[in-house]
Amino acid sequence: MALDSEPMSRSLVPFSAPKGGKRMPSLKIRLTPMTVFWTLIIFILVIPIVLFLSVAFSPRLLSQGHQWFTLSSFNPVFTGAYGTALLHSLILGIVAALGATSIALSMAWLVIRTNTPTRVIWNTTIFALFLAPSYLIALGWQRLFEQRGVLEIMGFNVTPIRNLLYGPVGICLVLMVKGLPFAYLVIANAMRGLGEEFEQAVRVHGGSRLEAFKVMASLLLPAIFSGLAIVFAEAISDFGVASTLSNVGHFSVATYQLYQGINAIPVNFPVSAATSLTLLALVILAILFQNRALRGRSFRTLSGRTRPATITKLSKFGKFTTSTYIILLLLITLGIPIFGAISASMLQGLGSLLSHYSINFSNYSRVLHSRFLRNPLIYSTEMSLITATLAVGLAAIASRVLTSNRNSRAKRFVDFFLLAAVALPGIVFAIGYIFTYNLKFINDIGLHIYGTSLLLALAYTANALPSTSRSLVGNMGQIQESMMDAARVHGSRGFRAWVDVTMPLIARPLLIAWLLTFSGTLLELPVSELLYPPGSPPVAVGIELSLAGFDFGGGTAIEVLSILWALVVVAIAFFLFNRFAPPGWKRIGNLR
Amino acid sequence: MNEYAPVEAQRVEIKGASKNYGTLAALANFDLTIEPGTFTVLLGPSGSGKSTLIRSIAGIERLDSGSIYFGDRKIADGDFHTAPEKRDLAMVFQDYALWPHMTAYENVGYALKRRNLAGDEAKRRIMEALDRVGLSGKGENYPFQLSGGEQQRVALARAIVGRPSLLLFDEPLSNLDADLRERLRVEIATLTREIGATACYITHDQSEAFALADKIGVLRSGKLQQLAAPEEIYRNPANRFVAAFTGISGSFSGQVVSVDGSRVVVALGEHHIQCHSTATLKAGDAAEVLIRPSATSFNNDGINTLPAIVQDVAYRGRGYEHVVSCEFGLISNVFSAQSVARDTHVHIQIDPSNSLAFPHN
Repeated sequence: MALDSEPMSRSLVPFSAPKGGKRMPSLKIRLTPMTVFWTLIIFILVIPIVLFLSVAFSPRLLSQGHQWFTLSSFNPVFTGAYGTALLHSLILGIVAALGATSIALSMAWLVIRTNTPTRVIWNTTIFALFLAPSYLIALGWQRLFEQRGVLEIMGFNVTPIRNLLYGPVGICLVLMVKGLPFAYLVIANAMRGLGEEFEQAVRVHGGSRLEAFKVMASLLLPAIFSGLAIVFAEAISDFGVASTLSNVGHFSVATYQLYQGINAIPVNFPVSAATSLTLLALVILAILFQNRALRGRSFRTLSGRTRPATITKLSKFGKFTTSTYIILLLLITLGIPIFGAISASMLQGLGSLLSHYSINFSNYSRVLHSRFLRNPLIYSTEMSLITATLAVGLAAIASRVLTSNRNSRAKRFVDFFLLAAVALPGIVFAIGYIFTYNLKFINDIGLHIYGTSLLLALAYTANALPSTSRSLVGNMGQIQESMMDAARVHGSRGFRAWVDVTMPLIARPLLIAWLLTFSGTLLELPVSELLYPPGSPPVAVGIELSLAGFDFGGGTAIEVLSILWALVVVAIAFFLFNRFAPPGWKRIGNLR
Repeated sequence: MNEYAPVEAQRVEIKGASKNYGTLAALANFDLTIEPGTFTVLLGPSGSGKSTLIRSIAGIERLDSGSIYFGDRKIADGDFHTAPEKRDLAMVFQDYALWPHMTAYENVGYALKRRNLAGDEAKRRIMEALDRVGLSGKGENYPFQLSGGEQQRVALARAIVGRPSLLLFDEPLSNLDADLRERLRVEIATLTREIGATACYITHDQSEAFALADKIGVLRSGKLQQLAAPEEIYRNPANRFVAAFTGISGSFSGQVVSVDGSRVVVALGEHHIQCHSTATLKAGDAAEVLIRPSATSFNNDGINTLPAIVQDVAYRGRGYEHVVSCEFGLISNVFSAQSVARDTHVHIQIDPSNSLAFPHN
C-alpha cells in the first residue's frame, strides 16, 4: 500500500501523506525560523565579535597595526593599571555573583513558596529593580551622598558612608543589586516548575523543612548556576558602575580601563580587544565550572504529571521576620536609589552653586514640554519594542537549541557565542559594531546601515540576546522531550508543535523575558552612546547629556519618568496576559 | 459504547536498521516485519534497542543506516527521513506526555488536527474516545487533576481518536500499579483490535508481552533474537536468552546422555531428566536445563523427578507457589492447590515439554 495514494481508512477524512524529503545537497535556501535565526546570529553576534576580537591577534586585519599575528597586545593586560583593574573586576564579579544568587534563592522561596505578606510588594518591584540600570542605581546613591548632595543639603554628615560608597564596597553593592533580579527571575521561574512531590518525598521520609529546602535547591541547580553565571558575567562586564562610582572613587575596574583605552588618542583597539578576550576567558571558565558541576545529572522535573506546589503558611513571627527581611532588602536595593533620584529630580538648584534650594515639580514639567528632553523617551520606547520582540524570538530558539538532548555542533556554537556576547562589555560590543559595519566588504555587499536605527536595534538585540536566552534555558530545560515528540507524532510540524506545546508551557517566562528586554533596552547606556543615529538620542544619552550640562534636576526627572513608563508597560503586559491568555497557559507555574 | 469502523492497517518492514549512540550500537543490522492488523510486542531488557526501534518507527529518531517501509512505501533510511507528523501513526508514551496546559479534552482533540477535523464531528469523536476509555466526565480536567491511570487513559484516547493505521506503545504501563496495569492492558488489547490498526508495543515485562501479543519479538543488544507467536516463543525459544527472558523457574547444568529428535535426556548428578530441545546437542555435551514455571509440580512417582526441600511458600489466591531447593539449585513458582510446609522433603516432577535444554556455554 502506498501511503500517498490511498486513504488510511474508509471512514476517515482522507490523510494526504507526504513524500518525505531526500537529504540531497542543495543550494536552495528555505526561509524557515531556523534560517532567520542562523542568519541573524551570524550577522549580529558572530561577525562583530570575531572581527573585533581578531584585532587582538592580528592588528593589521582591521588596519590597527602592521603585524598579521602578534600576542604583544596581551602584555599590558596583566600588568600595571590593566592588571589591577582586571583583578578588581574578578573579585567584584565573584562576590557579587555569590551574594546576589544567595539572596535571590532565599527571595524566590519566600515569594513563591510562602505566604509572607510582603511578597506582593516584591513581585511588583522586582521589575523596577531589573529595569534600573547600574548607572541609574549608582547615580541615585551619588545624588544622595555626594558633596553638596541631597543629604548634605538636608544637614546630614554622610562623609563615612560616601567613603565606603566610592570604593569597592559601594561598587560591589551596586553590582549585587544589579545582578539580583537576573538571578531571582531565573531561580523563581525554575521554582514555579518544581512540583511539590520532591519536597513531600523528603518530608515523608523524615526530612526537616531545611532538608526539603536543600533538596529543592539541588533540583534548582541549573537555575542557580545560571544565576551565578549571569551575575558574574554582568558584573565583570558592567559599564554603568564603571562610569560612575568607579570613576569618581578612582577604583579601577576592567571596563573603565577599556573605556579609557578607547577614549585615548590614538585609540588602542588591539589592547582593548585583548582585554575583552581576557574577560571572555573569565566568563568561559565560570561556565565550564557550571557545566562540570551539572554534568551527567538530569534536572527534568516539569511534565504533565507535575503537581503544583502548595505554599507554606508562616507563623506570625515568621511573617514578621520575612517581611522585615524583604522590606530591608527593598530599601537597600531600590529605596535609597529611588529616594536619591526623586529627591534630586524635585530639588530645584541641585548641581548649581546656589545656597537656596526649593522642592517642586518644575523639572518634570520641563521634560514633558521640551522636545529635547521628551523625544529620547519616545525613540527608546520604539526601539525597545522592536528589540524585545526580536530578542525574545531569537532567545526562544537559542534556548531550545541549548537544551536539546543532542550534543550537536549547533548547540556548542550557539553556547559559545552567547557566552562570548555575555562576557563582552556593551561598550566594546558597540565598538565591534562600528568596526564591522564600516568595513569595506560589508558595504560592498550592500549593508549600509551604520548610523541608522536598524544598526542600533540589531546591536541592542545582540546585547540582550545572551541574558534573555540564559533566562529561558532553565524553563526550557524542565520540559520533557516526550511532550514535543507527542505533538510531532500526533500530526504537528516542528514549528507548529513548538507553538502548540512549548510556547504555552513557557508563556509566562517568555513574557517576563520580553519585559526584561524591553526595560533593559529602554535605559541601555553603552550601546546607545556609541551607536545612536545623529539627532535621535535614546533615553540614556538624553540623561547623560542633561547631567553633563549640570542639569541634575532635568536628568533625574527623565530617569524617573522612564522608569515609571517601563513599569506601566510591565503592568499593561501582565494585565493583558492575565485577561486574555488561555487558562492552561496561566495554570503553568501557578500555585493551587 | 460506539463501535469503531476498522482502519486500513499498515504493514511495517524494517530492513538492516542500525543506530549508534557514540560507540554504543542501539540497533545492529535489525530486520523485522510487522504484518498489518497484528499486535506485535517487542520484548527485551534495558539497552536492548527496543526504545530506539519504536522511536525510529515513529520518526523521532533517525536511523544511521537501513530502511523502514510502511506498506510498499519507504518511510526512512540512512539518508531519507519522513517527519513524524507525516507518518499517520499515534503513540502512547511511557510518561504519558500529556500537555499540562491543555485539558483532557484538548489533549485528545489535538490528534484530530492532522485530519483537519473541527466542529461537531471533532467534538463527537473526542467525546467518543474519552467515553471509550471511561473518562467521559473528565474532559475539562487538566492532567494534574487526574490520577496516573486516568492520565494514561487520556493518552490512549489521544492515540485512538485519529484512528491511525499504526499504533505505537512505548512501555505505557510501566508507571502504573499492578491492578491498573492489568485493567489498562485489557483496554489497550481490546481497543487496538477494535480499531484494527497495526500495533507495535514495547515492554520489558514478559507477562505483559504474552498477554497482549499476536507476535512477540525478543530483542537483545540491538538484534532480534526471535519473532514468533507467544506459544512458539514459549515452547520453542530460539536460544537460551529467549528462553530465560520469557520466564523460567530455575536452571541447572548437566551432561547430555541421549538425544532422540527434540527429546534430550540430561544427567543431573545421579538423576536423569528428560527435556525438550531445539538446539543441536549430542550425547556427552555439557548442557543447561531451563525449567519453565509451568513445568513443575509436586509428585512422588519417581518419573522425571528431583528430590528437594521447600524453602518458601506464598499464597496466590487460587493456590500456593513454593520455592524449593534441590542439589542443583533453586526452583521457584512450584504451584500446588495445597500448601506444603517449609522444610518439607518433596519430589519435584519436571514436565519434559516445558523444560528446555541448551548447550552450556
